[in-house]
Amino acid sequence: MLLSSMRDVMFGYGDQAVVENLSLDIHSGQFVGISGPNGAAKSTLLKLMLGLIKPWSGSNVFKRVLEDGSRISVGYVPQQVASFNAGFPSKVIELVRSGRYGRLGLFKRFTSADHEIVERSLKEVGMWEYRHRRIGELSGGQKQRICVARALAQEPQVLILDEPTTGMDVASRTDLYRLLNDYVKYKGNTVIMVTHSLDEIGPYLDQVVRLERKGNEGWRCSVTNSCSARFGQEA
Amino acid sequence: MLGYEFMQRAFWAGGLIGVIGPVLGVFLMLRRQVLMADTLSHVSLAGVALGSFLKLNPALSGFAMAIVGALVIEQLRRVYRTYTEVPVAIIMTSGLALSVVLMSLNPNLSKSFSSYLFGSIVAVSDTQLRLIAVVAAVGIIFFVGLRRPLYNFAFDEETAAVSGMRVSLLSFLFAVFTGMMVAAAMPVVGVLLVSALIVLPASIALRMATGFLAAMGIAVVVGLSGVFSGLAASYYLNTPPGGTIALILLGFLIMAVIFQKLLRLQNRRLIQKINRNRSHKNYEEI
Repeated sequence: MLLSSMRDVMFGYGDQAVVENLSLDIHSGQFVGISGPNGAAKSTLLKLMLGLIKPWSGSNVFKRVLEDGSRISVGYVPQQVASFNAGFPSKVIELVRSGRYGRLGLFKRFTSADHEIVERSLKEVGMWEYRHRRIGELSGGQKQRICVARALAQEPQVLILDEPTTGMDVASRTDLYRLLNDYVKYKGNTVIMVTHSLDEIGPYLDQVVRLERKGNEGWRCSVTNSCSARFGQEA
Repeated sequence: MLGYEFMQRAFWAGGLIGVIGPVLGVFLMLRRQVLMADTLSHVSLAGVALGSFLKLNPALSGFAMAIVGALVIEQLRRVYRTYTEVPVAIIMTSGLALSVVLMSLNPNLSKSFSSYLFGSIVAVSDTQLRLIAVVAAVGIIFFVGLRRPLYNFAFDEETAAVSGMRVSLLSFLFAVFTGMMVAAAMPVVGVLLVSALIVLPASIALRMATGFLAAMGIAVVVGLSGVFSGLAASYYLNTPPGGTIALILLGFLIMAVIFQKLLRLQNRRLIQKINRNRSHKNYEEI
């Protein structure tokens, strides 16, 4: 299923275009990596895709409803969300539980199944032992991990992460890649992730979107449909 | 003191505001909009002046103006995404300028305006008490009914929007309620100090609380204590209630900071003692 389709999208800040003539298709059930140097508009691309910002021109469609009329659940972990207000008065478990709010609505009570999902999400990112800690007391990497757990607790069909490994050590990064890979391969979900660590995550990706500068022509987007063996080849 | 009807009204009004104001304050602080209450109180004053000038009910016109001001700030916040304090400054100065000009056109009103500026126990009329009761009821429904979306909204608007929450609608409702709350609180604590009642309990709560619900609870307890003790002190000392309440809340904040520092010092000493004992034990074993 075609999940996201962008055609000739142009967007910028002020009068400076940072995305020009971008066309990109992303299908469901894939693990997609978005890569590129600093300032290549990777985060902007995600925000455009999600409709958080509107393009200057071009078309952008992100599927939010399935054929049967049910909504596609989307989880999002923005860049630097872990640098959230250190004084935000919340325990780790409270924050991760909030991932369930969208499914529970305003008044539905937490069931034992909901509690299990929250517990599983925290365990999957290795933060269960920290559940009663105040979120402001955690390190940068730990904050990132609980934000991922919060998104996982939402049980989204599409999980979008913007550099979620910032501040994480190598072991935590590897665990996260495996977790996300299982989320795609065994549960049939979609993961779209902005990353600087293509060398580490490459073997898991189904599709790589590279944003790169081509001389004076501005930024160019190239898409590599790759498996691990083909990874690194030009589009 | 409570034998007087005006004091009963003041305590009812203060109690209702003391519950809802601090909860609103927690959200305003988390959304980095602490000056919003201050700004809207100035806007509301312009509404009161306009109401008096046009021979309308000043309480209702102040109320309506505060809501309009809140919505304008919310709209401008989207325009000035990078400088979110700019709309607050624009609306604050506009509100104050409008009040000053309208007041100068009707000099007989100047005296009653001092009760709006600094708050007055006798300023709480039956209409205002009814308005405060309505606002408190709306506030309870708003904060209890929408507690889950409000948590996500306060934590991060983008993730909330992506998860399917109607963030624009919630922002709109939040702005409207902030305007209502400020306009309702104004007669009790005064234009210049309305934000103290909203922000000071919240800042104490955010320092002390370990969780979100705890923050709300602490803010409400601090708010109520400040309002009741402030109103009583204001009655016996014959001081303006707004200033008295604000000073008491400030005292609470200073005490909270000192208490927290002492607690940290004690914890640090305890850890040092444990470490010393441990190393002493290791030395003896060797």
